Amino acid sequence: MQTSGPVVVMQVPEILNVKEVHSFMEELGPLLESNRPRIVLDCSQVRSMESAGVEMLLRCLEEVLKRDGDLKLAALSQEAEVILELMRVARVFETFQTCEDAVRSFNAIPTDAVPQDAPWYANMFNEVGVVKQAS
Amino acid sequence: MVGAIIIGDQTAAVEPQSPSRAGLYPRAWVTVEVLGKSPIARIAESLKDICDAVSVIMNDPPNTQDVTTDPVGDLATERFANYKAEGFETVLIVRCGAYVELDAAEMLSFHQENGSTVTRAFNDNGPLDVWTVAPSVLPEHTPLLSALAGGGAAVYCSKGYVNQLQNAPDFRRLVLDGFSSRCRLRPCGSEVKRGIWICEGAQIERSARVVAPAFIGRDGHISAECLVTRGSNVESNSRVDFGTAVEDSSILSNSYVGIGLDLSHSIVDGHNLFNLRHNVNLEITDPVVMRQNAVRGGDRRSLGSIETRQMALSSVE
Repeated sequence: MQTSGPVVVMQVPEILNVKEVHSFMEELGPLLESNRPRIVLDCSQVRSMESAGVEMLLRCLEEVLKRDGDLKLAALSQEAEVILELMRVARVFETFQTCEDAVRSFNAIPTDAVPQDAPWYANMFNEVGVVKQAS
Repeated sequence: MVGAIIIGDQTAAVEPQSPSRAGLYPRAWVTVEVLGKSPIARIAESLKDICDAVSVIMNDPPNTQDVTTDPVGDLATERFANYKAEGFETVLIVRCGAYVELDAAEMLSFHQENGSTVTRAFNDNGPLDVWTVAPSVLPEHTPLLSALAGGGAAVYCSKGYVNQLQNAPDFRRLVLDGFSSRCRLRPCGSEVKRGIWICEGAQIERSARVVAPAFIGRDGHISAECLVTRGSNVESNSRVDFGTAVEDSSILSNSYVGIGLDLSHSIVDGHNLFNLRHNVNLEITDPVVMRQNAVRGGDRRSLGSIETRQMALSSVE
């Protein structure tokens, strides 16, 4: 059985250029290699992000997905939002208004989840209503 | 004789500084190229037909405002004194913070018929920075701008288009109003297809798409797989690189916009990006993404221009 550790929240530096990416990755790198990493990046302080910063975010996402984990972005500053939109990656990441929302999302169970042992049509009946027995 | 003084008062055109707007703070929108030519140049051009002499007075945008000197005001006063000495009967003074379209000929005849010494233009929202003055009424060495601000002028009501050009949204509005003929500001160049204007030397690569209304300025370059649409203008000597989409945006002259970007609701000025939807100004430090293009020299080979123009015509949608 796979286990997962706690959700880790990390603050993204104000300026994410090549130099900052390097030092940020030194901190983030070990977390990416854990089992099912669950990471929230707090982007509230971001004022400037170079293409190296965006590339780093994408690489991190790729790494965590490989390990069956997830990486979510929270509290995006206006600047971060503009840059992610400009570089066409805004929709790649799951984003949240606050870090708390992002952390909570890791533990949330979807309300319309269907148990794995239920038949494939179980959900469908709920949508179309009661199915009458054929006479 | 009628003379005109156009004062490019850049301090009047900028809004209070805030950290997020610092990069675009010194931008005086009236001097920025819009659809091929700056508003101040257009105003000067429109006055050439009705005035015997037109003077344009400008200075560099002040980063630190020295309140003890007023070089623009001093130059205007000096120019006004020269007109007076040369025997001009009327001087039309336009202080450009805003972009104002009025019927100057009508205002001049109103001024002359009314017999007033100073006439000021007004619109529904209040006074405009346009005056007609009889030079003889102002005493020697009186600072011109403070004398005009004194009041007591006859009122000329203008119904013409006015854009305050105080900020980036005003600038975008001027672009869109130009496209939709809400004002007299028309795009330069040729309208190669309804709503698409292209200037001399512009290159649009074959697989690029330009969808009306749009404007590509002189020596502008739209690379392959790009899309320029929804009232976007790419001003002179600017380049949009491979695969980038430009939507509802202005790329000011001498700017480079990198590969594979989604530029929307924005103004790009070299390495500055102003996003109107988020109301945020960013200084892009990554030259791969955005940068200032080198300013080109004046000489262009005419044959080369003709060739690239034909290519552009064949590739627009």
